Amino acid sequence: MTALPLASVSFVESTGVQIVKAIVIFAFVLVVVPLILLLERKLLGRFQARLGPNRVGPFGLLQPLADVLKLLSKERFTPRTAVPWMMAMAPAISIFTAVVTLAIIPFGDVRHNALFGASYGLYGIDVSIGILWAFAFGALAFYGLMLGGWASGSKYSFLGAMRSAAQLISYEVSLGLSLVGVVITAGSLSLTEIVNSQDHIWYVVPQFVGFCIFMVAAFAETNRPPFDLPEADAEIVAGYNTEFGGMRFGSFFMAEYINMVAIAGIATAMFLGGWHGPGPGWLDPIWVIVKMLLFVVLFIWIRATLPRLRYDQLMAFGWKVLLPLATLNALVTAIVVSA
Amino acid sequence: MLLEQILFFVAAAGAIGGALGVVLLRNPFFSVLALVGHLISLALLFLLLRAEFIAAAQLVVYAGAVMVLYVFVVAYVGGIEEAVGGEGAIGRLGPLFAGALLIELCIAIVGSALPAIDSRGAHVPAGFGSPGAIGKVLLERFLVPFEAASFLLLVAAVGAVVLARRRRGLEDAPDDELPERAGRAPLGDPSGRERADGGDEGPPAGTAEGPGDPTPERDAERPDPVRDPEPQPAGGTA
Repeated sequence: MTALPLASVSFVESTGVQIVKAIVIFAFVLVVVPLILLLERKLLGRFQARLGPNRVGPFGLLQPLADVLKLLSKERFTPRTAVPWMMAMAPAISIFTAVVTLAIIPFGDVRHNALFGASYGLYGIDVSIGILWAFAFGALAFYGLMLGGWASGSKYSFLGAMRSAAQLISYEVSLGLSLVGVVITAGSLSLTEIVNSQDHIWYVVPQFVGFCIFMVAAFAETNRPPFDLPEADAEIVAGYNTEFGGMRFGSFFMAEYINMVAIAGIATAMFLGGWHGPGPGWLDPIWVIVKMLLFVVLFIWIRATLPRLRYDQLMAFGWKVLLPLATLNALVTAIVVSA
Repeated sequence: MLLEQILFFVAAAGAIGGALGVVLLRNPFFSVLALVGHLISLALLFLLLRAEFIAAAQLVVYAGAVMVLYVFVVAYVGGIEEAVGGEGAIGRLGPLFAGALLIELCIAIVGSALPAIDSRGAHVPAGFGSPGAIGKVLLERFLVPFEAASFLLLVAAVGAVVLARRRRGLEDAPDDELPERAGRAPLGDPSGRERADGGDEGPPAGTAEGPGDPTPERDAERPDPVRDPEPQPAGGTA
């Protein structure tokens, strides 16, 4: 049938273009994660009336590079009680599921007759199942944390893994339901089409409740404070990644930040109108990146502002408040749209 | 075309290997992981059949939600070294039953699949297996069975909650007399969700060892889930 063996897509490109796009996305991730890391440390410093890292390079700009070099040169330690091959696999799963999610984030619409006379979509892939793609891999992301914690053979790791499992499952339901409102309003699951249908009004306005639920659930899904119970350092050392060192820990760490970028991208596409913004068409990807950056700064700001929740509070909030609210939001949206 | 074939054989081998692993592996935790691998391979096969929605649902629901509960239960209760298997009549009848099932399935598959080998396969209309098409079928043509199934699941979930609460004996346990503990305890422990989500996985971890469990260290490797929220002082409040 088509050139693509898997999944029907709304815009078919040649395999070569796809490979180039995959490399570009991966390069983007590798560049953007250290930058966000530096931004976070700088901002956190300012929030706490410090300077933040300022020794390595001009204004501390080379700090992430030094961190990566440090992690790379560190000893790879495996506890006696651990399952070694699984400890190697777990960070890889985390990285994989995080990067794959980035593939559906649209940075712009299809460009016709752009480079070499061909047309390109400014996104990794525009699958017909759209946002379900993110949820499918979000569901698998759990195994990275879970296997990592379980395979470490340590109590703290195990507790952290169990917490993350409970937390991810609890808040994924709310996360999904909060987006149902947008999907109903746009009448499509594809992120590109959802962005296209926002050219009059961004969905953050009609779907404000859904947006709030999404943001809260997103904090829990990415294990960011105030929902960083899986690695609550005051209670369980560092949770699932207690026994991980060197670049394996670095992978977990990186996956967390990629997840943050991915969630910011999804929020941008679903609620903030994606590439829509004033200015000429070539500004589209810039707009997406600016909006994503807004979300990233919000993530950092919240981390500096709010204390960590207690575990039972987290669970009670997720099931008793967020889930009913998300269900109600989806229901009301469905009634309004169909009426 | 070639990629399709490679993926098919990878997924098929993964599905069969995973299924064999579930049965043959001794450690229940690895068995569950083999089942996860099996389900992911099945999702890949669905994808090759152009049923993207089913593939995503397979990942979200089975690999994501159901298997997480399995992993939960096995990780808490697991570590059982001896083989899980029936002794006596069931143990002897098991292989017989499995053999009969295999023969029956072989007859069914060979009978229906052999004529299709030389053909081009079923005609797939555009949009087949897309979320929209599946939604139409579920909510228009099969509305009553669909709703009946969801009602059945709801009843099962409520039944599981009722059974779990009765077994725990919330009124009898001295630990739960404090009103805020009685209200918070089922949500405070992470294993509480099994009771709410599906009672068909056997006795959940949280029920057998409640807060009043007299054996504090059942297994040095596996921390007690119910104890987790308790040692945290009130200072951790937001």
